[in-house]
Amino acid sequence: MNPLRSETRAAQRHLSLNRRHFLRGLGACVALPTLASLSSGSAWAALPGATTPTATTTTGAPLRTAFVYFPNGAIPSAWWPTGGTTDFVLSRTLAPLEPHRKDVQILAGLDHKNAYPGPDGGGDHARANGTFLTGVRMKKSATEIRAGISIDQVLAREVGHVTRYPSLELTCDASRKTGGCDSGYSCAYQYNISWSGPTSPMTPEGNPRQVFERLFGSGSPGERAASLARRQQEQRSVLDFVLDDARRMQRRLGRDDHDKLEQYLTGVRELEQRIERAERFGTVQDPAMPTPAGVPTEYAEYIQVMFDMMLLAFQTDSTRVASLLLAHDGSNRSFGEIGVYEGHHDLSHHQNKADVIQKVSEIDLWYVRQFARFLERMGQVKDSDGQSLLHNSMIVYGGGNADGNRHTHSNLPILLAGSGGGTLTPGRFVDHKSQPTTNLFLSLTDRMGVQGLTRFGDSSGPLVGV
Amino acid sequence: MHRPAYTGFLRYAQGLFAGVLCSAVAEAAESTSLPDFRKDIQPLLNQYCSDCHADGMSKGNVDFDTLKPEAAVPGDPKLWLAVLKNLRAGLMPPAKKDQPTEEQKLLLETWIKRTAFGLDPLDPDPGRVTVRRLNRVEYRNTVRDLLGVDYRTDEEFPADDTGHGFDNLGEVLTISPMLLEKYLAAARVIVEQAVPLVPRVPAEKVLSGRSFRKPGATGGRDGSQSFSYYEAATVTNSVTISQAGKYQVLLNLNATERFVDNVFDYNRCRVVLKADGEEVWRKEFSRENGRAFRFEFERDWAVGDHQLQFEIEPLTPDEKQVRSLALQLNSVTLRGPMEPEHWVRPKNYEKYFTRETPVSPEDRHAYAGELLGKFAARAYRRPVDSDTIKRLADLAAATYQQPGKTFEAGIAQGMVAILASPRFLFREEDSLPAPDGGHPLIDEYSLASRLSYFLWSSMPDDPLIQLAAAGQLRAQLPAQLKRMLADGRSAAFIQNFTGQWLQARDIESVTIDARAVLNREEKPDPEIEKKRSRFRELRNRTSSSLTSDETAELDRLRGELFRSNNRLRAELTGDLRRAMRRETEMSFDYVLREDRSLRELINSDYTFLNERLAQHYGLTNLNVAGEELRRVTLPPDSPRGGILTQGTVLAVTSNPTRTSPVKRGVFVLENILGTPAPPPPPDIPPLEEAGKAIKDHPPTLRETLELHRKQPVCSSCHNRMDPLGLALENFNALGMWREQEAGQPVDVTGKLITGESFQNIQELKRILANERRHDFYHCLAEKLLTYALGRGLDHADTESLDQIVAQLEKSDGRPSVLLQAIVESAPFQKRRKTRPEESLQTRPAPGQRADLRKQP
Repeated sequence: MNPLRSETRAAQRHLSLNRRHFLRGLGACVALPTLASLSSGSAWAALPGATTPTATTTTGAPLRTAFVYFPNGAIPSAWWPTGGTTDFVLSRTLAPLEPHRKDVQILAGLDHKNAYPGPDGGGDHARANGTFLTGVRMKKSATEIRAGISIDQVLAREVGHVTRYPSLELTCDASRKTGGCDSGYSCAYQYNISWSGPTSPMTPEGNPRQVFERLFGSGSPGERAASLARRQQEQRSVLDFVLDDARRMQRRLGRDDHDKLEQYLTGVRELEQRIERAERFGTVQDPAMPTPAGVPTEYAEYIQVMFDMMLLAFQTDSTRVASLLLAHDGSNRSFGEIGVYEGHHDLSHHQNKADVIQKVSEIDLWYVRQFARFLERMGQVKDSDGQSLLHNSMIVYGGGNADGNRHTHSNLPILLAGSGGGTLTPGRFVDHKSQPTTNLFLSLTDRMGVQGLTRFGDSSGPLVGV
Repeated sequence: MHRPAYTGFLRYAQGLFAGVLCSAVAEAAESTSLPDFRKDIQPLLNQYCSDCHADGMSKGNVDFDTLKPEAAVPGDPKLWLAVLKNLRAGLMPPAKKDQPTEEQKLLLETWIKRTAFGLDPLDPDPGRVTVRRLNRVEYRNTVRDLLGVDYRTDEEFPADDTGHGFDNLGEVLTISPMLLEKYLAAARVIVEQAVPLVPRVPAEKVLSGRSFRKPGATGGRDGSQSFSYYEAATVTNSVTISQAGKYQVLLNLNATERFVDNVFDYNRCRVVLKADGEEVWRKEFSRENGRAFRFEFERDWAVGDHQLQFEIEPLTPDEKQVRSLALQLNSVTLRGPMEPEHWVRPKNYEKYFTRETPVSPEDRHAYAGELLGKFAARAYRRPVDSDTIKRLADLAAATYQQPGKTFEAGIAQGMVAILASPRFLFREEDSLPAPDGGHPLIDEYSLASRLSYFLWSSMPDDPLIQLAAAGQLRAQLPAQLKRMLADGRSAAFIQNFTGQWLQARDIESVTIDARAVLNREEKPDPEIEKKRSRFRELRNRTSSSLTSDETAELDRLRGELFRSNNRLRAELTGDLRRAMRRETEMSFDYVLREDRSLRELINSDYTFLNERLAQHYGLTNLNVAGEELRRVTLPPDSPRGGILTQGTVLAVTSNPTRTSPVKRGVFVLENILGTPAPPPPPDIPPLEEAGKAIKDHPPTLRETLELHRKQPVCSSCHNRMDPLGLALENFNALGMWREQEAGQPVDVTGKLITGESFQNIQELKRILANERRHDFYHCLAEKLLTYALGRGLDHADTESLDQIVAQLEKSDGRPSVLLQAIVESAPFQKRRKTRPEESLQTRPAPGQRADLRKQP
């Protein structure tokens, strides 16, 4: 919360009212199955030439993948369930998932070796964050950023053409602190989990209003489709000019600068494709609800409204790939709402003090509770095939630190929610016994219909039995 | 690598040491030999370093035995940069070991700079700046200066990524597809706000809400006027019509209320609007949730005076008045006459259109090119070629030739394209022909932009561009520097530089729990703790679930726990945070504008306060009243004065519930002394075992840190940061003065790793500002050069930085000298010469459109 910019109490009240209105709207929307016209993506994927269905379930419904990141690891003893594969007993931290235990897999034994210090020394938070979806060792530099493509962006590249947006990148941690970030790593590693290439972080959107307007257009319900179409038309008319400018400029510049112009050109290219796709897919469904207001002051509300945006994007089949950073690793947010006034990161180095450990696990639990609410709503929305959105999704919830106190990156706290359209076997607690987390990603890309991706990051092969 | 040879390095080095830079450089030019690794350097390493870094020892992973003396340059620049920094900061050899003589130090320094880094003091390596995208602050300022539009990039654009603590580094500023989309959308919104899309519009006149007056009252000022639901009121205004015709009148209102928890307000009121005594509008209002209302009507008006009357009447006199419901009359807009023959030029028309639009297609095209070429040159901050102008004119024509589109709309379309172009979004630089074998100067348009984005965070203004066009900017650099600093736009430099260097920006968002902080200063009281947890428990429940007893208990606890006024006043409110930030900015601003020694930033007998801040600091006897911050002379030997004891620094380096001497120590090392400690080792040994040694009381922070320092793996760094941080322990996490922590008196004495002892913060400040001033100058110059260049510095910048610091040192820290030295330095003035492998021929062909489309 930013006290300087924070609204008056009245305005806060106003915001939360808006949020209620908004949710009511969402409820109305939730009752409706996804319009058949919106699943045109699946039809498109089945065009002659396509051998495997692209991001599509066997029933022809869209298949989605999402990645949700939570910071600073989780107290292991409070996180891991006890008991067997199917008769497991949920731990205190994961207790909010009890109503969804049939929809969730708790994956033990997944590691990120490239998040360990290796030759690079300190900076475990930056690495936890930057490695999570990329699986690579990042270059340790404050300016020369070099990570790798992230798994969601592989999906965007391979299956993104079937929807209006190849992917959606969201954050609930959009503000920045000054000063250096973690131990000589650029802040770019800590605030971005999605990377379209080694030097190109996919800046996430942190303002729910902007996410909504980007997906559905601005204005009141009913006006949006027209505003979106008009915007794209206007954009198209200047693209030729700016593309020409960019190419000429790129020719004049040195090699280091080449990359920067390439990012610009990639953006132009994507926009062109999007406009093309918009024409192919026809009119956008206008969610019959008010546009969300800006960033809510309450963190829980902020997280929920961003989850809502993800849900809405999936429901309207605007995209099938999304990532959401709840907070960057190393986040020192305090949680007054549950009586934890100290900073999360400070607490995570708990020196084995029982009361501090307790506070950290309260925070871990708080985050899981937010995720459980999202699963609940995903479970309520009917997809075009009559199944729930949750059934037709694969949602990874996890973090790149295991034990935040000791900065370990083995046996990471990772959950996989959803049934992947019936291709996953949720409702289990499985120990994968020290395999790269990227193996899990390979299993997901395979189900999303990505062909020929046999290696990713530090992977050693797809995870068996998910 | 070719390098000229020199002799007499010692004389050169001594010259430099004495600060006589120019003559030193001249002497260096005559000399012909450099120190030799085997002959001069290896013996030094053997003598002073080998105990720990050779013969099987490799402390800190540094082992000089692994160097290969036969190599042209033994060891890599990274190693030698670390050696140089440690040597200069007095960290190596450690204080307790034998120290090299000044001459020996210089010998080593010279060898490192000249041989290991290959730097030529006559033509230092200027480095290479990656093409810089405007960050969101620069974008906003540029749009303001270009078009007079304030576009809220802080809300519309994502935060920029940072490196080295700054958000203006070319390498770190990326463009994602999402941002590109935002740039396109922003371009349109901005142009539509700034540029008229039609040649003529009905005339418009705005009557402010406050210009409506009660009968007999005088007024007529700007701004809105608020009317309570609970009180009847009638206000009028009169307009003089000089042209008869049809007029549109637009009323602009919005409802306001003050939020009160769980209590509603059911009052209603009625508003009636009359024109010349005739009712034109009537509406009832209840609680409206802050909504805005607009009402429009038309009148046929003859020449003469006409009256508008606004009446408000309460409808519910018996209801409770709890939320201060009110209607705010913002303005009334008169538009007309509506008959086209009376229409006038829209606002700002002359700013973008120079004459009547020509009729023939050829003339129109030429006029479009003329307008857009001029705008593009300003927006791109350099001349544009005729081909670009033609493409812009074509783009405009493609729009204005469409049925129903105006010529102006075509121009606007061209301007949108310009604002979305990479040539606007990036700062393209060009260089002059290189002198024989040397590094080329950047051209003067590039220099104009470097200056303006450095000092204004915005585009160059007309004088800068005119000088660049005439090739006179370099010649007039000192005068321009002075002019630019005197200009109001330089406030952006103060804000953005201090905001990031001293992290003053973060004061606006840092979370500090005032109650938890203040409680630490007292002995823990179990009674109060019990009450507090009960209070939290009750407060976290919904009010409907509380019994009446519990509600009463909650109120009682609230009263008891918050009884002390002081405590509430300690809360970091928006006002207080702003005052703290201004204090830091004004301190820097004052030193800069008065050209006082930069050492005053560390230690001064004044600071900047308003009433609220003075009270917060406990400086209640200085007679500071009101909201305005002003320079206040502090009592003799006050612990305040200087940035280290300002609320900004003290709070942003704290944890939410307590101070962090470690974070504060790291802050001083990184931002004042420029000798950052390496990051903590990945496996931090647990403290609790050691902590058990203290049995009679919970260990204080100082005791815990002392235990920490006993661990060898921690001591080398914590010996550097802890004394600095502990010296500030008299200031709590809110920046307030305190005598005790956890019920025990605070001990702030200490000794720096470089040997200086101090009893209190006043003494530490004096040490930093005097004995350690060279470190401070070096650190500040490094930060400022990073900010000015928009890139991180590396070993190749050592020579340039040394030259800047030498001048700063010589002037006893005058900011004018520092800024002058920076803008005249090689990295600011030049670009590194292109190496053959980077030439155009070998670069991959630029992306062709066909290629672009081929992508999946």
